[in-house]
Amino acid sequence: MALSTIPFSGLGADASNQGVNFRNLLINGDMSIAQRATSVSSITSGGYKTLDRFNIDINSAGTWTMSQSTTVPSGQGFATSLKMDCTTADASLSASDYLIVRTLLEGQNLQQLKFGTSSAESLTLSFWVRSNKTGTYAVWFYADVGNKSFSKTYTIDSADTWEKKTITINGDTASSFSNNNSIGLRINWYLAAGTTYTSGTLPTDWQTDSNGDRAVGQVNLADSTSNEWYITGVQLEVGTSASDFEFIPHDVQLQRCYRYYEKIGTNGEVYKPIGVGVKVNTDHTYTNIFFRTIKRTNNPTFSFSNLVSTDRQSTDADCTDIDAAYTDSHGVHVRFSHSAYGAARDAALITGDPSTTPSYFIADAEL
Amino acid sequence: MIQTVKKQYEDNYDGTKKFSNLYKVTYENGEVLYVFHSEENRHYQEILEWVAEGNTITDNGGGE
Repeated sequence: MALSTIPFSGLGADASNQGVNFRNLLINGDMSIAQRATSVSSITSGGYKTLDRFNIDINSAGTWTMSQSTTVPSGQGFATSLKMDCTTADASLSASDYLIVRTLLEGQNLQQLKFGTSSAESLTLSFWVRSNKTGTYAVWFYADVGNKSFSKTYTIDSADTWEKKTITINGDTASSFSNNNSIGLRINWYLAAGTTYTSGTLPTDWQTDSNGDRAVGQVNLADSTSNEWYITGVQLEVGTSASDFEFIPHDVQLQRCYRYYEKIGTNGEVYKPIGVGVKVNTDHTYTNIFFRTIKRTNNPTFSFSNLVSTDRQSTDADCTDIDAAYTDSHGVHVRFSHSAYGAARDAALITGDPSTTPSYFIADAEL
Repeated sequence: MIQTVKKQYEDNYDGTKKFSNLYKVTYENGEVLYVFHSEENRHYQEILEWVAEGNTITDNGGGE
């Protein structure tokens, strides 16, 4: 039989799951990319800490270390997981206290869900999770347009054991996602929640968000420094069933993460290239930095560490400030301040400091 | 937590200074970010919240 005549069903269920078709609406669900850091301790405030595309929101719910862990479910193909480790406990949460791990999706990547129409598609979230603390945990789905939300719970049945969880929610026929690069959907895994967020009733459909309905039954993972929580293999897909996790090549995953955050430079590289520039006077260099992936927005936030303006003849002048930047989603024309050397209109390179690490330039366009 | 926010200035060709539409944000942990004046930038939203809490953006007109 010619290959072209073999029916797809003849390939078998496993084979049908091997193709990459980007059915996973989430990025970095296998927790493989951690550009910022692989471990951050003493966390008491929110933000992106380690793993790309996954951040923390916290309000007075203990102190935590967030890390990229190599503890993974056996035989599933994962190499890394996200780990939350409680280092200072809060056994008695105030009403408004909470801890959330979350990921955000652009509205333009959710249009196929047909939300806001009678054909709105169901969504299925699946993930592997592990904790020493058994009990009920909540996942709160929040859509910015219309201030709509839907919460469901899952149960960790056995301590210190990887378990696969699947949560299906129906589509919202009333509210749509904005078709643009702003936040469409927030997926929030609660790890701790005060009574402000637990005092209501779990919704059975999309509803106007109500604080008390977000995390009904949620255990307090912050109640002991012995507590830890792992998650990996996170997949969100259209429909009512969970397929096998869609592994994509590392370079593809990294490129997808670059859209939101790109760290140019690595530790320990001498004269890591950042940009070719020209000095506008003795103590300022303009340079162009081209992004490896088009950014989500035209106005990313920038930061840098241990860069120099250098003539590669006699002087490496430490960059101390960014005075100005002209940017779009493709790159940035940036003006660095540094100590004076040479003359105006001299060519100059912006590179990593040859003697001090880490050296990098960051463009951050995260949601 | 934001510690300070400062307007950044660059030189015009005639030597005068102009606001470069960029803010230098210094956090209590020492982290420094350069943030555009843009409503869609999440760090700019942080600045707005910080100002709403009664804090003031430093504006030295480009002087040191």
